[in-house]
Amino acid sequence: MKRAVIGVAAVVALVLASTALAGYQYAPPRQWTPGAGAGSTFSSNWLANNFRTYGSGTDKTVTFIRNTTYGWYNTKRGTSDYLETYAPFDGTYKAHCVSHSYFWGSCNVR
Amino acid sequence: MLAGILAGGVVASRLDDGSELIAAIDETPLTRVAEVEASEGAPGRGVFVQLTKTGHLCVWEAPSATSRQRGGGCNSVDDPLNGSALSATLSYDGGPAIADVRSASLFGLAAKDVVRASVLMSDGTLRDIKLKRARAGSDEFQAFGYRFKKGDLRRGIGPTAIVAFDAAGAELGRQPTGIG
Repeated sequence: MKRAVIGVAAVVALVLASTALAGYQYAPPRQWTPGAGAGSTFSSNWLANNFRTYGSGTDKTVTFIRNTTYGWYNTKRGTSDYLETYAPFDGTYKAHCVSHSYFWGSCNVR
Repeated sequence: MLAGILAGGVVASRLDDGSELIAAIDETPLTRVAEVEASEGAPGRGVFVQLTKTGHLCVWEAPSATSRQRGGGCNSVDDPLNGSALSATLSYDGGPAIADVRSASLFGLAAKDVVRASVLMSDGTLRDIKLKRARAGSDEFQAFGYRFKKGDLRRGIGPTAIVAFDAAGAELGRQPTGIG
């Protein structure tokens, strides 16, 4: 019984650790079309925002949007399988991702 | 036992959500291969490559090799240019309306047989990009970094594509891009 409890605790710790590293998936894997977008909640603690796609040559954008001005910060647009940008240090922002083509992918913030 | 298998499955799916690549990005050193020049109040940036143990070639724009203020992307080392003659990332601050963009740059890698690369602007003009020999592991590329002029952005003129040419001027590849 004790071993089982330790085993479950270890698995839970692994899940939590991997979740913390991967962050919050604000747009789960799905089919994207040109012009489609998604956004996370606003936070002052975000570090980085990524758009992960499956297959190359997929045109997309990742950015951070400030809660006061709704301006875009540190925007990156490209076709890499994995596209990432970093959050500004000051203020409150939400992660935002936009598709410019057809592909399968997910958006994540940490 | 069943709970253990299910929990293991959750762990496996979590580890497949990019966390392995993110960890590799965080721990792998970067190599500087090109520059985005400082201009009109915008600071200079380096262009860096990174070969991760996950089998990815990443290209970043950042103030330094150790800065966390980096953005860019990663592709499989088996297809680092997405099957094209070049792979570029457009980077900008401000917007999404082009008139609100405070600074913008373009960086990336081109195949070694590319002789000239240019940005096609929305007014139809071409802006040549300097290419610089670069190496990532055993593979040779040409790296580039380009700073857009504020005057263009203020007039609403932005990039629409980056185009690669061979020695005869024939187009080798084209990647659409744009602000907003």
